[in-house]
Amino acid sequence: MASRRRMLLKVIILGDSGVGKTSLMNQYVNRKFSNQYKATIGADFLTKEVQFEDRLFTLQIWDTAGQERFQSLGVAFYRGADCCVLVYDVNVMKSFENLNNWREEFLIQASPSDPENFPFVVLGNKIDVDGGNSRVVSEKKAKAWCASKGNIPYFETSAKEGFNVDDAFQCIAKNALKNEPEEEMYLPDTIDVAGGGRQQRSTGCEC
Amino acid sequence: MSSESRASSSGDEASEPNPNPIPKPPEDQLAALALSETDSHANGVVHGSAGENNQNHQEIESDEEEVEANWLRLPEVDGPSSPSSSGYAGERGSSSASSGGSGIDEISEVRNEEVVDGFSDSQASWVPGKRHVDEDDASLSWRKRKKHFFILSNSGKPIYSRHGDEHKLAGFSATLQAIISFVENGGDHVKLVRAGKHQVVFLVKGPIYLVCISCTEEPYDSLRMQLELIYGQMLLILTKSVNRCFEKNPKFDMTPLLGGTDIVFSTLIHSFSWNPATFLHAYTCLPLAYATRQAAGAILQDVADSGVLFAILMCKHKVICLVGAQKASLHPDDMLLLSNFVMASESFRTSESFSPICLPRYNPMAFLYAYVNYLDADTYLMLLTTSSDAFYHLKDCRIRIEMVLLKSSVLSEIQRSMVDGGMRVEELPLDPLPRSASFSPHLGQHTLSTDSPDRFREPYIGVGGPAGLWHFIYRSIFWMDQYVSSEFSPPISSPRQQKRLYRAYQKLYASMHDRGIGPHKTQFRRDENYVLLCWVTQDFELYAAFDPLADKALAIKTCNRVCQWVKDVENEIFLLGASPFSW
Repeated sequence: MASRRRMLLKVIILGDSGVGKTSLMNQYVNRKFSNQYKATIGADFLTKEVQFEDRLFTLQIWDTAGQERFQSLGVAFYRGADCCVLVYDVNVMKSFENLNNWREEFLIQASPSDPENFPFVVLGNKIDVDGGNSRVVSEKKAKAWCASKGNIPYFETSAKEGFNVDDAFQCIAKNALKNEPEEEMYLPDTIDVAGGGRQQRSTGCEC
Repeated sequence: MSSESRASSSGDEASEPNPNPIPKPPEDQLAALALSETDSHANGVVHGSAGENNQNHQEIESDEEEVEANWLRLPEVDGPSSPSSSGYAGERGSSSASSGGSGIDEISEVRNEEVVDGFSDSQASWVPGKRHVDEDDASLSWRKRKKHFFILSNSGKPIYSRHGDEHKLAGFSATLQAIISFVENGGDHVKLVRAGKHQVVFLVKGPIYLVCISCTEEPYDSLRMQLELIYGQMLLILTKSVNRCFEKNPKFDMTPLLGGTDIVFSTLIHSFSWNPATFLHAYTCLPLAYATRQAAGAILQDVADSGVLFAILMCKHKVICLVGAQKASLHPDDMLLLSNFVMASESFRTSESFSPICLPRYNPMAFLYAYVNYLDADTYLMLLTTSSDAFYHLKDCRIRIEMVLLKSSVLSEIQRSMVDGGMRVEELPLDPLPRSASFSPHLGQHTLSTDSPDRFREPYIGVGGPAGLWHFIYRSIFWMDQYVSSEFSPPISSPRQQKRLYRAYQKLYASMHDRGIGPHKTQFRRDENYVLLCWVTQDFELYAAFDPLADKALAIKTCNRVCQWVKDVENEIFLLGASPFSW
């Protein structure tokens, strides 16, 4: 048996509709790309194993739908996420401006214990389009925003060409490892028969 | 449950060829048709009137007349006086192909398992532990498995899967969470989804989600109860304190805490197809002479008085003796889960052990400590305490108990009973006899002759007992949720047949206790596999299986005899004076 256990990471992918979330997943998990756009309904679930520093990770990827009508699913989907990937289209300004909303919405709905340090990753997708000529969000601008939000790692990707996709997900595993909680002792109470038997309340440590 | 539509799949089934090897007697179809016309009352289940079966059951030990009042008298149904008076009319409908459905599926299920698993799912050849770890939801073999169980967290992280590797099933697990959470978001709860022959049963326990996906046609209530037991097994290992871990950290991954317990869950799941305790919520005792059990009880009581909460002596899944201190009592489900935990974990066999455990029905929040030691290959002693440093005291207790049991030859009696103990339908006494004279040769050790002239042997020798009686289970409510089951004899001899009968009982139990249309007093149903008879009173529940061609009146008479027989030998097959489950 391995000395260090496998880790399962729940990864939520968020971003406006059409920025290429599903294409990124498909490129990453299946090494496939299709030019045809198919809107995701609700969410898609993918699994990918990653190795990082001799440790095996299973990424449980929640590829969500970008359309607003699916936003009500948020609470149900975001609970217990280990990492959140924010995706925008470098050719669409609105999708970049919305990153802030996506981030805040996620922090509200998922309510992680330490929101300041919750691991996000930002991906600027579709850098291949028109040889980069239709680009409206500069790398500098994107990096500045990421820096202002607690140094979120930033990657420029092309789902079509598979550029930078693996590196981005490698970073997710690295982040999660950094945030791995300390192993705590699991210490439930012991029944105290003299003190009222099975109705006894917890008195021990809140483990 | 109310949304379940039993007849929904009858269209599919009707289109299948009917491989029923036993031609259905024409009068059976007639009865089914007649019943479906008049099934406005409770699905064609025959009810006994409450007054008829219900007189003074507290006093079983009184005179013959009192016992007589306990006897089963089934009301005759109006109309056709054919032997088949009932069945699940709603399910059977009016098409004979559809009425054969359940039996056919059961057979094909076993076949499929043989093909897919490469072994037959029997007690004898069943190998505990996790298999098919390479599979995931994309594998055809995984999709073909008849019964899946999943435990996951409310963030969708997999905790346990019966088949396949949990991590590879992470995407599937996420899907299950999405379904549950989506419905919860709407302020509702999803309990059951039917998809063709498959049922998807959900059970939400705080941050823990349990899901069963099955095409075994077991009733919803049975599957839900199995999920409850799996949850209980998890609590037995960890207590409900895991909830606090999730409150603190929704990302919490429970799997490391359950490390190495796969086998405990897979063994429990396997017992869902052979151990009646899993649906009866009762335990069974190893048959022993009254004095022998008393001797074991005395020494356990002695130990219990020295600060042991529960002292339990068991042989496989059967109780030899059970003693609780300070009126503490043990729920049958806790006993089932505890003995499953001990029997499934190989390490208990190799050395004396001291392990924290939780009894979910006793106190789900906190740990007890269990000292466990095997006295021989099948017999083990469990001493439960609240003190985490009682190991050496309990070790001393065990040495004392073991000495007494050896000296008084209780251990050899136990081994003897393991070999030839138990009630056999072939030995059902012909007539109600004076109690003291009707011990079965296999029960106590004080009867010598196996060829007692009282035995009814003539017409059914080799194929069950009198009147085509094949098997029975008697659950005593009077003796605090204990049951006794007859030994399997031909024709119920192969594991496949035993599993099929078990499933039939399970279905019968569920229909008798259906909260929608029940509870019922009596039921008589006939299909191509069995005649099943069930009788529920304040004091007991009797489940009996007969030859499908058995005569109804004779079957009823035989059930009365079984009840009498059980009462005659009750001080050998039950733990008398067991304390009630008072809460």
